[in-house]
Amino acid sequence: MAEGKIKHYSDLLENKEISCKELTEKFLTEIESANKDLNAYVKVTPDTALETAKKVDEKLARGEKLSPLEGIPMTLKDNISTKGIETTCCSKILEGYTPIYNATVWETLSKNNAVLLGKTNMDEFAMGSSSETSYFGGAANPHNINHVAGGSSGGVASAVGGNIAVYGLGSDTGGSIRQPASFCGIVGLKPTYGAVSRFGLIAYASSFDQIGPITTTVEDSAIVFDAISDYDKMDSTSQGRKGTPTVDSLKNDIKGLKIGIPREYLEGIRDDVKLSIEKACEVYKSLGAEIVYFNLPALKYALPVYYILACAEASSNLGRYDGIRYGYRTDSYKDVNEMICKTRSEGFGDEVKRRILLGTYVLSAGYYDAYYKKAQNLRGSIVNAFKNAFASCDVILAPTVPMTAFEKGNAISVPIETYLTDICTVPVNIAGLPGVSIPCGFNDKGMPIGMQLIGDTFCESKILNAAWQYENAAGAEVFKASQYGVKL
Amino acid sequence: MVTHEDVLAIARLSKLYIAEEELDDLTKAMDDIIKFADTINNASEEGVEFDNINNLSNAFREDEVVPSYDREEILKNANDIDEGHFLVRKRV
Repeated sequence: MAEGKIKHYSDLLENKEISCKELTEKFLTEIESANKDLNAYVKVTPDTALETAKKVDEKLARGEKLSPLEGIPMTLKDNISTKGIETTCCSKILEGYTPIYNATVWETLSKNNAVLLGKTNMDEFAMGSSSETSYFGGAANPHNINHVAGGSSGGVASAVGGNIAVYGLGSDTGGSIRQPASFCGIVGLKPTYGAVSRFGLIAYASSFDQIGPITTTVEDSAIVFDAISDYDKMDSTSQGRKGTPTVDSLKNDIKGLKIGIPREYLEGIRDDVKLSIEKACEVYKSLGAEIVYFNLPALKYALPVYYILACAEASSNLGRYDGIRYGYRTDSYKDVNEMICKTRSEGFGDEVKRRILLGTYVLSAGYYDAYYKKAQNLRGSIVNAFKNAFASCDVILAPTVPMTAFEKGNAISVPIETYLTDICTVPVNIAGLPGVSIPCGFNDKGMPIGMQLIGDTFCESKILNAAWQYENAAGAEVFKASQYGVKL
Repeated sequence: MVTHEDVLAIARLSKLYIAEEELDDLTKAMDDIIKFADTINNASEEGVEFDNINNLSNAFREDEVVPSYDREEILKNANDIDEGHFLVRKRV
């Protein structure tokens, strides 16, 4: 069984085996060396981290108890707003932008004395599957640095998989938490749409975006999710967590649990991934769960539906970058229109421009009905298909990605082929469901393989329970730490 | 088939300039993506009306006046300001 790291470090602090200052310094030292290989962090914040560590040590000296995340070194994806700390979305257009407010998730965690080590790398504006569209270059996979960490939350996954952060928060619009977690052999939870506040998350596609934790174990994922899933009046889509904390039901027996596998998810996936999924089914059967196969034909259109709708929303959301109020502005221009056009053309990278153009295209007169409206209606069909599926099974099991981490440089050469790799992750965002990716093995080249458990809306407890049971039963075979980072 | 003219027209709406040397590659990429997006028009089903996710409905509340962000703080992120305003000067 993979030991929960948050509890482990928290115990070390409580038992005074290490001070929070020493722990933080250990992480900062390891970041300095490992980040040369991993490029996980785009900004390290030692002053903020050590200042918080001091507060935690003072609290311990006074004999006060710590809350579960207090004093634990962590990181945030660079699209989560941090007051007074530059937040760039890894885009040139937000160079130098320093938020004047905190994202709600960071406000919550910082009040709990979470130790922020820095901001992590990502695909520019979260648009990509390899982190290579980042203005700062891609993040490497801690299991083999010639491979990508995945994306778009590749920096968080690289840092957590590389043990240079205990946990991190990423965002998932079409798989951006689960895919890099799968590539790096760790755990990534995309919560139900509305379960975690997105206030202060720099928007990509607002009806899909969701913040969630990236951790090394399922227990850690539950602890972080419980801490950040609360109703927030600053996010009009916020509903918060429904029901008791997910840690309470993590270890429940899953005898009789009905695990559904839609056959469509198994089409076109690599053999090594398929084999790991089959093995996972055997583990579940040994735990008393029942595996049922069924068809979910609506999934056929999930990818084009996702790209049409997400890009449409992006083209609107990214209209705000005009060089007037914040971020990059071009040097010379004749008038306001030229200033805006030049600023945007120089400030955005190629992938972001492509998605803005596609989004504008599908929303433009003459194409709106054929693309945007049709995609919205098919989104409705996909939502209903999942609803029906959950009438006959408790959770859905599927691969997270059809393959293991790509070699560097491969993802950005052919955009459309890279889009296709999101096939297993986008349906969850389309339907607003929770999904957790957990490690389920390694291929013969030593690259991690992940699988995801998908639940009905607000059923995080159920999927985390099923995930914990698998992790506990499968053990060391599916969990290997990378060579990097802090080992205590 | 997406043409150069389509891409330029969409770029104008998107407030983006496309350099001459980018146009061929971008048109090809857009054409690939649009062809891929077109597969939804092969769907036999019409789909169902979709207007929100997870049964969200408008959450109305009484308007309360609360302190807002500090103007000076907001302006710190701007490239050019003058007397408490954002400024766009002519710069050729």
